[in-house]
Amino acid sequence: MPLILNGLEPLPWWLAGAGIAVVTLALLGVTGHRLGVSTGFENVCALVVRAPYFGREALRGSNGWRLPLLGGLVLGGFLSAVLGGGWEPTWALGMFDAEIGWGPAGKAAWMFVGGVLIGFGTRLAGGCTSGHGIFGLSNLELPSLAATVSFMTAGAVTTNLIYRVLL
Amino acid sequence: MVLFYVALGTLFGFILSRSGAADYNYIQGMFLFEEFQLYGIIGTAVVLTAPGIWLLKRYGRTLAGRTLAVERKAGHRGNVYGGILFGVGWSMTGMCPGPVLVNVGEGKLYGLAALAGVLAGAALFGCSYRRLTRPFRLPPLAVGTGEG
Repeated sequence: MPLILNGLEPLPWWLAGAGIAVVTLALLGVTGHRLGVSTGFENVCALVVRAPYFGREALRGSNGWRLPLLGGLVLGGFLSAVLGGGWEPTWALGMFDAEIGWGPAGKAAWMFVGGVLIGFGTRLAGGCTSGHGIFGLSNLELPSLAATVSFMTAGAVTTNLIYRVLL
Repeated sequence: MVLFYVALGTLFGFILSRSGAADYNYIQGMFLFEEFQLYGIIGTAVVLTAPGIWLLKRYGRTLAGRTLAVERKAGHRGNVYGGILFGVGWSMTGMCPGPVLVNVGEGKLYGLAALAGVLAGAALFGCSYRRLTRPFRLPPLAVGTGEG
């Protein structure tokens, strides 16, 4: 199945998986940091929101590496588009367009609500796919297994509810 | 060092962009059990990262020569309840936190709406931490739920 991005063919799964392992181990081996993306959203919030939670020392001290990592992720997506057929703003959303068919306003609202669940949920869980699913599982941590099973199950239930029950 | 983090993030973002991990269709295919791609990616990453972490911990130092101590995440009720909320959001958007940023970079405009939601959700969580501490048995505020 081609990607939504310029109809590109995806990398083989083993190559992508190996690449993510290299990124994770390079971060740990060179700097001692455990990979994790979702805490970086707290670093962004801490720039503008005044709350005791965002003022804690452990978070402030990680601005120097988490913010550049987040910026890199945006840059990586941008370069991927530029080098793979060109960068162009788009609302194309694959099977959502084919089966649900909402316009930009509906999609934006849907994405915002989903985003709130991601932001609140990952921070309550203490990590996301990278911090729990990849690093935590690789380090044999039980809380990460609990979180990973929870988000994989909830995702499967939600998608099946949307595309197999409601539609 | 800042450049190192930007470079690592860029490589990570490029891989997520080109593998299907930042693609709405591939995420739905994973949750419908119709596409192996994402299971293969996460599985390969874990199978290769696990022995790597073990070796690095045994070595006990970073390549820069500093002591390597991997702090384990705290266990609490938020692992499950937060995980469930996140799973619903991942299904709705087709993005987990890394891919939210990747989608923005790729020029997918709905990624901006998702990013706004993520930041609003994280801000709401941070401002509610004291109220959530007891019901979810969260660690003290200075510690947080887990750096991830």
